[in-house]
Amino acid sequence: MIHEYLLQFLTLISIYIIAVISLNLAIGFTGLLNLGHMVFFGIGAYTSAILTLHGMPWYIAIFIAGLTASILGIIIAGITSKLKGDYLAMVTLGLVFIAIAVSRNWSSLTRGALGLPGVPDIVRNNFHYMIFTLMISAFCALIFYRLVNSETGKIFQAIRDDETAAAILGKNTYFYKILSVAISTFFAGIAGSLFVHHINFVDPTIFELEFFIMILAMLIAGGLGSIKGSIAGVFVLSILSESVRFISFSPALLGAFRDMVFAVALIAILLFKPRGVFGKVDV
Amino acid sequence: MSSISIAILPQLIINGLIAGSIYALAASGLSLVYYVVKFLNFAQGAVITISAYLFFLFLDLMGLNYGFAALLAIASSIIIALLMNLGIYKPLRKRKATNVVLMLSSLALLIFCSSLMLALFGSGTKTLSLQNKTFDFGLFTITAIQISIIFSAVLLLFLIWLIIKKTKLGKAMRALADNKETAQVLGINPEKVYSYTFIIAGALGAIAGILIGLEQNLYPRMGVPIIVKGFISSVVGGIGSVPGAVVGGLFIGLVENIGIWFLPSGYKDVVSFTILLLFLLLKPKGILGVRMRDDT
Repeated sequence: MIHEYLLQFLTLISIYIIAVISLNLAIGFTGLLNLGHMVFFGIGAYTSAILTLHGMPWYIAIFIAGLTASILGIIIAGITSKLKGDYLAMVTLGLVFIAIAVSRNWSSLTRGALGLPGVPDIVRNNFHYMIFTLMISAFCALIFYRLVNSETGKIFQAIRDDETAAAILGKNTYFYKILSVAISTFFAGIAGSLFVHHINFVDPTIFELEFFIMILAMLIAGGLGSIKGSIAGVFVLSILSESVRFISFSPALLGAFRDMVFAVALIAILLFKPRGVFGKVDV
Repeated sequence: MSSISIAILPQLIINGLIAGSIYALAASGLSLVYYVVKFLNFAQGAVITISAYLFFLFLDLMGLNYGFAALLAIASSIIIALLMNLGIYKPLRKRKATNVVLMLSSLALLIFCSSLMLALFGSGTKTLSLQNKTFDFGLFTITAIQISIIFSAVLLLFLIWLIIKKTKLGKAMRALADNKETAQVLGINPEKVYSYTFIIAGALGAIAGILIGLEQNLYPRMGVPIIVKGFISSVVGGIGSVPGAVVGGLFIGLVENIGIWFLPSGYKDVVSFTILLLFLLLKPKGILGVRMRDDT
């Protein structure tokens, strides 16, 4: 039997891979600087938690979690389609704080800052859950790999490189940008759902920036515009941050030190290796 | 109309002015850097947090007197702001990183410093020990600290405005903000002006940190909500404009506090973010109509 610690580690890695790859589709492949990616992750987590706590079977809840995140993503992408660069970054960053405020205050649905405990497991056995998330993660990686190499994926990348040129060539860039966000946020929602069924709890801190900085550090470490880069980035940074555990800090300090590791890693990559390991484009 | 009576309106307006002064201070540091160096420096929130904690360290843990503690906290925070520029932003600019990369690294710096404060001082809230006096004006009450917050904000922002408009440094800042290449041809050294900009922004952040520390409790992540409000204020006022930061800060402070009349107080944040979204989408130039960069 594999050690319990390793199971936890591999399960989280599988979930982070989905989150990072889906963020890569938006930022790395389509050039949409979505700093609110983890909002959709959190919405997926909340949706799945609320539905399963009300007795809905998990396999429907996961799907609805992805769908809810995706619908919200489509709405946001539709409204912000004219914005680029740091203005899009500002709006999507604003989403983070709206999500925190709403989840804290919509108490009848989210129980506010208390959070929702007791979110049911999908499978009782942790080993089986690890295999389950690993399979979904591998499946997602395959879908994204096929997608970015398809005709549609080429149009995404054309929009990233030169949106005006793509539009002149007759591509409906508005539609493709929204499509990219729809797919990206759908999988963010799925990842959030898998996450909440793993830790069995969700509260407004799921939206906090620390979590996004972690995912962003993984993405940029692996490199924008590369699926295998994203997978590598998740592994490398996860192992790096887990090594903090062996310096044996108290549990309260552990979280703080981990956040510091990711923040330093992100700054170091931006400074010294801005394209990451396998990156094809600049941030 | 809601159940709250009109009698509390003056108090809400005063509360709005106090909150607005704090937002304006936070926003002006952001706006100044955005105006001159052209990126959103969220690490301004880190400077605010660090200054508040250092003030607490010097005043309560080391027992220094108020003036000396404040002076030391401000000086150290300015050095930290300058080091952030020289250690991280300057090398990034050297390799021609985009303004988005600079913004992302400033976000990472903000998270780093919050976590560092958590590791050094613990997660609990800290309260500065200070005598405070409450004045009752009948229609509203206000404390001595709150009066000093409003006055310091007015004074500081006037000083910044003077620096930008009346000094040689301000002229160089405006030239750089307008056109970097031309400014360089005219013999202005951008890196030098950027360093001065970070010193001024650092001082603004440091004083804001001390004032906020006096009015509210300290906690490791305090910089995040403050700089976010500063960010909203500067967008609303017109990002990159110091007068805009003041207008935006007061606007957001007043709207949030008067909004309590209609909405539960927990929705303060939702109100200000809705305003942020509306401005970014419909009036990205802000109230003062600042000219936008066209390279984004």
